[in-house]
Amino acid sequence: MNSKILCSVLLGFSFRFSFCFFFLSSFLLSPSTFAATNTLRTPDIGVDTLLLYRNSNWGKADEVGDDLGRNGLNVQEAEIGFRSDVDPYSRLTMVLTVSPTLSTGTTGLVKEEWKVMPEELFAESSYFSATTIKVGKFKAAFGKHNLLHTHAFPLVDAPLANTLLLGEEGLNDVGLSAAFLLPVSWFSELTLQYLRGAGGDDKDPANPEFHSPSPAAGVGLAHFKNLIDLSDEATFEAGLSWAQGPNSLRTTTSLVGADLTFKWRPAVLGLYRSFILGVEWMQRTRGQPDSADEVGSGANIWLQFQFAERWSALTRTEYFKADGASGDPLVNPAPLANDLFTRQAVALQFRMSEFSFLKIEYDHRHGLAEDVRLTKGLSADENKIMLQADFLIGFHPPHSY
Amino acid sequence: MNWTKNFSNSASPAKSTWNLFFLVMAIGGAASSAQGKLQVVTTTPDLRQLVETVGSMDVNVSALAKGTQDPHLIEAKPSFMVRLRDADLVIAQGLELEEAWIKPLIEGCSNRKIAMGTKGYLELGGSLNPLEVASGQVTRAGGDVHPGGNPHFQLDPIRMGQAARLIADRLAELDPAHGKAFLERARQFEGQMTEKTKAWQKRIDTCGVKEVVTHHKTFSYFLDRFKLKSDIQLEPRPGIPPTASHLIDVIEQMKKRKISLVLIEEYFADDAGEKIQREVPGVIVQRVAVSADAQPLQEVIEALVKTIERACSKK
Repeated sequence: MNSKILCSVLLGFSFRFSFCFFFLSSFLLSPSTFAATNTLRTPDIGVDTLLLYRNSNWGKADEVGDDLGRNGLNVQEAEIGFRSDVDPYSRLTMVLTVSPTLSTGTTGLVKEEWKVMPEELFAESSYFSATTIKVGKFKAAFGKHNLLHTHAFPLVDAPLANTLLLGEEGLNDVGLSAAFLLPVSWFSELTLQYLRGAGGDDKDPANPEFHSPSPAAGVGLAHFKNLIDLSDEATFEAGLSWAQGPNSLRTTTSLVGADLTFKWRPAVLGLYRSFILGVEWMQRTRGQPDSADEVGSGANIWLQFQFAERWSALTRTEYFKADGASGDPLVNPAPLANDLFTRQAVALQFRMSEFSFLKIEYDHRHGLAEDVRLTKGLSADENKIMLQADFLIGFHPPHSY
Repeated sequence: MNWTKNFSNSASPAKSTWNLFFLVMAIGGAASSAQGKLQVVTTTPDLRQLVETVGSMDVNVSALAKGTQDPHLIEAKPSFMVRLRDADLVIAQGLELEEAWIKPLIEGCSNRKIAMGTKGYLELGGSLNPLEVASGQVTRAGGDVHPGGNPHFQLDPIRMGQAARLIADRLAELDPAHGKAFLERARQFEGQMTEKTKAWQKRIDTCGVKEVVTHHKTFSYFLDRFKLKSDIQLEPRPGIPPTASHLIDVIEQMKKRKISLVLIEEYFADDAGEKIQREVPGVIVQRVAVSADAQPLQEVIEALVKTIERACSKK
C-alpha cells in the first residue's frame, strides 16, 4: 500500500495530521505491538476494492453521459472504512469512497477524474433501551437495496428504480435516525429519520429528488421492517418505507416503497446451499409547479441460489416507468424520461474466500431516454457483459442480514 | 378508562387495528420475559449445556447457533436480536470465533446490560489457556487465523469444566441469591469431567492411535488433551476449502505416515473425505458431531473416543 498517496488523500480531505499518523501507524507498528494497542489507539480499518471490466454496445461511444458507462477495465470503487467503539454504548463509523468519474471534456474526449467522497460518517448509540440512535451522514433506511454498499449489491449495478428515483448514490444524507425494536415476539423495527434533503454541489447534487433551496426544509422518513423465522432454516422479511420533503421545484417529493425477502439456508450442510428471493418496489411522486405530478415507479425481483460452497447463480428482472415528467427545463430541470425501461440480468459468482470474489454478469436492457438515444445514435437495447472482482483487506463490518 | 370497552366498541377500523397492534405488542413483551430468573443467551449450544448444568432451574438459557452449523459463519438474523433484547447475560466462546455475527446482534438489540465490556457479556476462550496463539506476523495469507488462539475448546472436557466454573462465577455475580448453588454445580461438573477424562485417556492409550487428520482445526483441544497428533488438515489454510492439489499432498502424507483416521466436522461435506477413502487403503473417514447440541457433551466425546477405537481395531 502506498502510504504517501493514502496520507495525501486523507490530508487533502482536511484530516488532521494526527489522524493520518494513527492510520499509518497501524501498518508500521510491529504485529505484537499493534495487537496490544490497536483496539485502543486506532480504529478498525479496512479497504474494499471493486474492479470492473464492462463491454456494452452503449459504451463504445467516445463520449459519456447519462445512463452510459464506458467500456473497458477500471476501478469501480474502493471503500476505505474506519470504525471503532467510542465507549460500551456508542461507536463511530466513517466510510470514504475513492472512484473515478468520467465526463466529456471540452475537447470532446473523455476526462477521468478521481474523487474521494465521504459515503458515510456517523455515530451510533445503543444507550437507550431497544433504541438505536444514529447521527451523521448515512444511507437512509428506505427499502432494502438503498442500505447496501456497492460491493454488497447482489448484481453489479443498482436496480433501475434506485438509480433513477434516488440518484446514483442512493438516498444518503446527513440526518438523525432512531430505530425502535418493538416489544413483540418477532423482529419488528420502526425507524424514523430526519434528513436534510441536500448535499453535493450545483454540478453534482446529492439527493436531487429533494434538494430544496431552503436550508430549513428537511425530509421525514419512516421504515417499518418485520422479520419472522418460518423455521430454523427460513426467514421472511417484509418492509414498508415512506419519505417526504420539499424539493428543488419548491413543491413536494414523496417516496413510498415496499420490499419482501425470503431466505433459506439448511441447518445441516448450510455452507453449501442457500437461496434468497427478494422483491422491491418503489414510487416517487414529484410535484411540478403549474402542471401534473411527475410519477416514476419501478420494481425488481431477484434470486440468488448458492449451489456449492464457493459458487452462486443470480438473476434479476426489473422495470421502471415514468409518467407526467415535464420536458421544460424551467419547470423541471432533472426530468425522468416518460417511458418504460426493462432490464434482465444473469450472473455467476465465485467466492475465492470470505474476503474476495469474482462475478461475471450479462445484462439486457430495453429503453433509454429518447434525447440521449437520438443525440448519440444508440439503439434502444443494450447488451452488456461485465466481470467484477472484489478484494478486501483489513476489517470489514458484517453485512446486515 | 375502560380499555376493553373502548377496544371492543371502537367504531373506526383504523383505531381497532392500532388497539390490536398494541395489545399484541404488550402480550408479546410480557411473554418474552420470564419472572425473576436470569435470562442467558449463549452463542453456541455447548455453552448452553454448560449454563443448563450450572444454572439448572434458576436460569433461562438459549443458544443462537445450532450444533450443525459452522460457528464462524452464523448469519446475524434480526430475530436473534429479539432474544438478546431481554437477556441479562451473553456468553461467547470468544477468541474471535463469533466476531462476524455477535457484535452486530448486540449493537442491534440495544440492550445496555449485555454491551461488550460490561458484566453482561462474558467471553471464555481467553481465560482457558488457549492453544495455537499466533506468533509473528499474522496476515490473511495464512487463512482465517485467530490471533488470540484456537477458539474450539468445546471438545476438551477439562477446559469445559473450567468454563463451567467461570460461568458459575459470573452467574453468582449477577444473581448472588443462587450463587452458592451455581458454584457447587460447577464444581461437581468439573469433578465429573476430570474423572471421565482419565477413563477416556486410558481407552485411547490402549488403542494405540497416535495421529489423526482433520478437516478444520476444530479438534485441536480434544487431540491435545488426549495426546494425539494432528498437523494435517484437509483445508490448505484455515477457512479455505480443500483444493485438489492439497488433497494429493494429504493423501501422500497419510500413506507415508500410515495415518488411518480422518475426522470431519459434521457441518462440512465429505467430498474430500470420499476422495481420501478411495485413495488410502483401510482408512476410516468419519463425519462427527463437534458440538453438544442434540446430545450431552459426554456423549459427543464418547462418540469421538469410540471412533478412535474403531480406527485402531481396523489396524
